[in-house]
Amino acid sequence: MIKKISVLLILIFLTGPLGGCWDRKELPELAIVLGTGVDRTADGRIRLTVQIARPSAFVAAGGGGGGGGDVPAGLVVWAEGETIEDAEMHLETKVPREVYWGHNMILVIGEEMAREGTRMVTNFFHRNRQPRETIWLMVAKGEAKDFLESHSALEKTSAQAASFLARMKLGYSVSSREFDEMLASKGVQPVATRVEVKRAGTTLGPGREKQPSNQKQVELTGVAVFREDKLIGWLDEHETRGLLWLKGEARRGIIAVVPSPGEPEKEVSIKIRRAKTKIVPQYDGERLLFNVVIEAEGDMLEQQSRKDLAKPGKIKALEGAMAEEIQKRAAISLKKAQRGYGVDIFGFGDAFHRKYKKEWRKLKNRWDREFARAEVNISVKTHIRTTGLLTRQPYLPEE
Amino acid sequence: MTAFLKPVRAGSLRRGKSKGRGKLSAGQPEDAGLSGAAWKDQVLSPDLETNLQQIKTILNNCSDVIYREFVFAQNEQIRLALIYTDGLADKEQIGDQITKALALEVPMAAPGQEITKGRALDFIKQRGLCVNEFQETGKMRDVIRAILSGDSVLLVDGHACAIINGTRGWASRAITDPVAEPTVRGARESFIETLRTNIVLVRRRIKSPSLKIKTLRLGEVTGTDVAVAYIEGIANDKLVAEVMSRLERIKVDGILESGNIEELIEDNPWSPFPTVNHTEKPDRVAAMLLEGRVAILVDGTPFVLTVPNLFVEHLHAPEDYYERFLYTSAIRLVRFTSMAVSLVLPSLYIALTSFHHELLPTPLLLSIAGQREPVPFPVFIAVLIMELVFEALREAGIRLPRPIGVAVSIVGALVLGEAAVRAGLVASSTIIVVAFTGITSFTFAYSASIAFRMLRFTLMVLSAVLGLLGLISGLAVIGIHLCALRSFGVPYLSPIVPTTAVDLKDVIFRVPLWAMFTRPRLIARQEQKRQIPGLKPTPPETRPKR
Repeated sequence: MIKKISVLLILIFLTGPLGGCWDRKELPELAIVLGTGVDRTADGRIRLTVQIARPSAFVAAGGGGGGGGDVPAGLVVWAEGETIEDAEMHLETKVPREVYWGHNMILVIGEEMAREGTRMVTNFFHRNRQPRETIWLMVAKGEAKDFLESHSALEKTSAQAASFLARMKLGYSVSSREFDEMLASKGVQPVATRVEVKRAGTTLGPGREKQPSNQKQVELTGVAVFREDKLIGWLDEHETRGLLWLKGEARRGIIAVVPSPGEPEKEVSIKIRRAKTKIVPQYDGERLLFNVVIEAEGDMLEQQSRKDLAKPGKIKALEGAMAEEIQKRAAISLKKAQRGYGVDIFGFGDAFHRKYKKEWRKLKNRWDREFARAEVNISVKTHIRTTGLLTRQPYLPEE
Repeated sequence: MTAFLKPVRAGSLRRGKSKGRGKLSAGQPEDAGLSGAAWKDQVLSPDLETNLQQIKTILNNCSDVIYREFVFAQNEQIRLALIYTDGLADKEQIGDQITKALALEVPMAAPGQEITKGRALDFIKQRGLCVNEFQETGKMRDVIRAILSGDSVLLVDGHACAIINGTRGWASRAITDPVAEPTVRGARESFIETLRTNIVLVRRRIKSPSLKIKTLRLGEVTGTDVAVAYIEGIANDKLVAEVMSRLERIKVDGILESGNIEELIEDNPWSPFPTVNHTEKPDRVAAMLLEGRVAILVDGTPFVLTVPNLFVEHLHAPEDYYERFLYTSAIRLVRFTSMAVSLVLPSLYIALTSFHHELLPTPLLLSIAGQREPVPFPVFIAVLIMELVFEALREAGIRLPRPIGVAVSIVGALVLGEAAVRAGLVASSTIIVVAFTGITSFTFAYSASIAFRMLRFTLMVLSAVLGLLGLISGLAVIGIHLCALRSFGVPYLSPIVPTTAVDLKDVIFRVPLWAMFTRPRLIARQEQKRQIPGLKPTPPETRPKR
């Protein structure tokens, strides 16, 4: 037994010199990339911009000898090249450490680059073993470099701010993997989160009252619409809500504002608790029809009117108004996708594929045209679960 | 002197050494010990003078032995001699019960019956001596042993035999709190250095005729008394026989502590894990005996060995059975987690920060990277240095007199750590990892934590070379070794491996006492039942009728 164990131990120890620790990388030897941007320059080259963390800024003040505080949290470096790899090689000559992609959180593609095609960009990240597939894929309105160079007042870096925003899933957030899945399927055209750099709010401090901040910060402002891997247009925030409803991604936290029953000029806010979307295609060889059934449940969160809504009739009316609102939002997005861009970004094709496998073979190569002329019925079923106890405000008798 | 100046060749050195070893094993204990000497087989002679002369020759230059010669009160022709060791024997008892009784206060014999030399021995034994306990012997070996054990030996002229009086009484330490195993709840007594007292402490807890205590003497020179305690009917007979046979084959010059015996009877001397448990708490020994284990008590040490020993025992504390089961289970969970942490945390830290950066969450990675930024050493070296510092501190704390020990640990822990971080020599995260590891290794039995400390360093090297691959292979080897280990025939990892379902009741989670129906199956093979069923406390009206 002892002999066996010692032989095993010796073998294990002998593997050490074989490997020779070549893979070992101490943390201070790494340049940890937090965000990456890819742009097409005016002269047709590819510009790779990376936001690299300065770890000493991430330590609480006083600890670690670095001492957080005013240390800049990161730096932005860019390099140009014919391909991404080429640009990265040039990048390595500017960064004294090994560029490490394992903690890259976002990949931002500049507008120009996206119009030309994302495959050129993502190929590098797919082949390289360090970057994750879970990174958020975003399209910058304008240049990706501007985006990475912006500042976040709350988070340490703009890359983190953008990834935290994406993680909250208030808009439509797409990871690199999800984007590839959409790209791989003929039944749905990809979308990616749209980001913009906008003027930041006021940062507090003495002497800063009412002085508009000149800092820029990132915002997620809807989605970018693709045909295959090429950018063809945008959906704004309002239209993105419709996209969420149609894709069945409307999660909690989405507030529908509807006119109050009885007092149409006043509004009621509803918080969505649960939502489900079902797409039922119907095809007779000629006419293509989609019945979209959206089921939504919500709580009443706020009301401007003073009417007691906690009565069956009123709740019914409220549910009706909510359904109408959701239907309206979905219809706007649908119209834009069908008429404006002519691409199926909702996955109607996938639903069709699941039901009509044979017919799909014929239709799949011209699916976007079929989709553009398809008829879509959106029906919404809603249910208000609670109206809250404050509905009847004790200090304000009902009129 | 010239011999020292001459260079010693390796060959001659080895030869000399082996010769020395051979001599030691062949002759030395025989010469110095009790067994080989010529007087070992001697018998006493009827003549008092001859006997005294012989004893004095044997105990030549033993100035602590006292010879007291006197005459019998009723017949001055009868000469007596009392021999005992100063300090070992209770002088007051000797004075009252032997010397005074025989020299002054002997009751009168019946009229007409004069005490002759020939009848003296019987008379002394039956009416003269007032001691509680005596033995008769004709062998010189027993006489010498009795004198050196604190008993006093009475020689009567004209009789070839001696009376050994039980007069042991030496200065010994009082029974105090257990130092090595402090508990919050439970008995505060601990064993002391006197075997007799220790047996008393066990007997007081188990008042049953089934508690058997076998004694034997080990150590050719020291002649140390060793007692083997077990409960007949609960302990496995084969186990008792095995313990006895392992003890009986011990032939060494001295047994000074139970650790000496442990090293001579354990199953796998090369294993880093202890396969013999020790405790200084009598209540723990009683609990072990009740589970069918065998205890080995050794004179001269407060530490009692218990066998067979299971791995989980080291993670159990005596008060686990005194506190309520919910609390015990929660605390044990902490202890088991601590064990895992104390084994792998530094290696995991090394592997993650020098190989697998992607396995750490981004904010944590950035924080650690920030702390390590000014540090000039690779993470393995930094952890190794800090672990060595910690081990040195621990050792210093044990070796130093207690008041200074506290100062050392304060200086070490606070000043050194803080200064190292401030100087940028070590990252704060490294200090946290090392300190946390150190604390966790104190949560379970000291002897097992030593094993974990040693293995921790091995794992650190492995993970510094191969990352997680090295760590996992190291853990696999440890796991295989633990699975193969046995203690007195019982698999070391039982009841986990091999899984004994009923005995999982007392591993991490302890079931309430009213549900502990059986004894550990692999240890106690007889008398499995521990208690009657239905002991769960219930309100009177719902109580089942018996």
